[in-house]
Amino acid sequence: MKAIFSTFSILILCTLMAWRWPVAEKAVGTKEKTALLTKESRLAEVLEQLGDAPSPNEVNTEMDMVSAKTGEELVTLGFGRGPGGFKTSRQSKHFVCTSCHNIEKEDPDLSISDPQARLLYVKDKGLPFLQGTSLYGAVNRTQFYNGDYSKKYGSLVEAARNNIREAIQLCAEECAQGRSLHEWEIESVLAYLWTIDLKMGDLVMDGNEWSRVEQALEGQGDKGMAIELLKEKYLAGSPATFVTPPADRKEGYPMVGNAENGKLIYELSCLHCHEDGRYAFYRLDDSRFSFKHLDKHFSRYTRYSVYQVARYGTSPLNGKRAYMPNYTLEKMSNQQMEDLRAYVVQMKK
Amino acid sequence: MLKSILSLLLLTGFSFALYSQEKISQTFKDTRVINSHSVETLPKRKLDVRISHRFGDFAGDNGGYKTFFGLENATDILFGVDYGVTDRFTIGLHRTKGAGSMPDGSSGLRQLLNGVGKFRLLHQTSDNRVPVSMTLVGVASLSTAEKIDDNPDIIRSFPKFAHRMATHAELLIARKFSDGFSLQLIPGFTQRNLVPFEDENGIFSLGLATRVQLTKVMALVADVTFPFSERRTTENGFYTPLGVGLEFDTGGHVFQFNVTNATALMETDYIPYTTSNWSAGQFRLGFTISRLFNL
Repeated sequence: MKAIFSTFSILILCTLMAWRWPVAEKAVGTKEKTALLTKESRLAEVLEQLGDAPSPNEVNTEMDMVSAKTGEELVTLGFGRGPGGFKTSRQSKHFVCTSCHNIEKEDPDLSISDPQARLLYVKDKGLPFLQGTSLYGAVNRTQFYNGDYSKKYGSLVEAARNNIREAIQLCAEECAQGRSLHEWEIESVLAYLWTIDLKMGDLVMDGNEWSRVEQALEGQGDKGMAIELLKEKYLAGSPATFVTPPADRKEGYPMVGNAENGKLIYELSCLHCHEDGRYAFYRLDDSRFSFKHLDKHFSRYTRYSVYQVARYGTSPLNGKRAYMPNYTLEKMSNQQMEDLRAYVVQMKK
Repeated sequence: MLKSILSLLLLTGFSFALYSQEKISQTFKDTRVINSHSVETLPKRKLDVRISHRFGDFAGDNGGYKTFFGLENATDILFGVDYGVTDRFTIGLHRTKGAGSMPDGSSGLRQLLNGVGKFRLLHQTSDNRVPVSMTLVGVASLSTAEKIDDNPDIIRSFPKFAHRMATHAELLIARKFSDGFSLQLIPGFTQRNLVPFEDENGIFSLGLATRVQLTKVMALVADVTFPFSERRTTENGFYTPLGVGLEFDTGGHVFQFNVTNATALMETDYIPYTTSNWSAGQFRLGFTISRLFNL
């Protein structure tokens, strides 16, 4: 009897010791030393080993409740785990980060921002084609809300331009139209972003370039040149150029549309938000009614005009804060706009 | 017993397997057709603020120019909210004026608080493994009208508190046949706890509703409900509630303009108490505004 009681007590004790409250977890992406250069080697570590300055985006692991898991929940579900392990209030009633941002690599070559290359890449990977830049590798970037975003957000972008924490907060409040994130939530998001940072295999490098980095790591090459080489292989920030709809909306942009390409844009971009009212009140589907409506409004100056909303976006209004962000030229080219139009015209018949 | 539990588990598992198929969306665009509920439930965390209005008789003795074709009268008014607790479960609370009456003019329940619960049982799938969508609806209406003690012949005498209540349950079975055409069958049962002399408390009914999409924004909708009751005949002064309307969906906003002979807006009211006759001009204009909010 005593033996049974002791065994039972030990079992309970073991269970209690093994049990961990979710917030107690500080599963911040750990950085282990890279022994050899492999495709899985973390770019940030390699750069640091080459003597580059430490990333300014390091997570503050001293802060309570910081957890990569919570960060992932905030990014993908819109809430995290607060004090006591309970769900926090939703960050936004309208969006989650993944409404507008992928969390996987979305460009075949990270050193250029080419919307057509991206479209074909995300199609192959089963990802949507979105207005926002992928969060994959966000911690490796040093510039945010670049280019013309100041036209949209004014002075709000100043603090966010070179500070990922401010950029996350700006995204939460303005882009997602939600509540401010607590500091520990921002650190948690950052901790999650470190789990999807760039790896050496993500960079497009030939054998010679790879050897130069390897040699530099082994102390046989120029480390400064290796750092420079690696930084040429990805963009420090996403360029953003705001463009207007075509001057003559009936004529459109002076390009011939490719309906096949337009189909990809419709399915991977438009339907991502508008199918079954996922993030938008205005619903789209593959019925002729949808295509006829889009076609009718394409050349108009209404909120149903694709030219209008894709290039200018819509504004969040009181009671209807779920707005549509615009597509910069780097996120959808004028050619792609015409491709989309060609598909709409083809499908309305 | 064990066998039954096992069967139930298997059935539940089968149902979830079916749910993994691609679902057909928007069999109807609103949670109501005209008078009837539609098979649609609200998406999770969506709040639907609704205002409905039924004007007076368009023509006939009480209509025409003297009431500006009924626009100067309001037979029933509803305002309330529905909320999507989950994608399959919607609850709602609505206030209605109450408008049903017997052929002799005695009124049904008035000043109603109506609670609504909707649970989606099945969702039609694109591969037809689930050929129809099904939703269970429950409505409970409570009259908040002042009690009239000294007249036991009228409903508002309310001998017991329960007499203030009427309930309705229905099963909605709908199929979207194409992008442009949906049809819905509505077997239902209405229970009134207190009824006029010689009337019956429980009434079975069968409704039919349809939607024909005309453009992306506009659709033609119609519904009719047949109460199964020997007393509810045209000879006795009762008529079948029938409505037709045009519905405009502008994205987050649904506006409906309709014409119906039903004076009341809730099932507990218009199924037992429709005494207006289309052919006598006793139909009315009505509208419904529905506005969705993210919560």
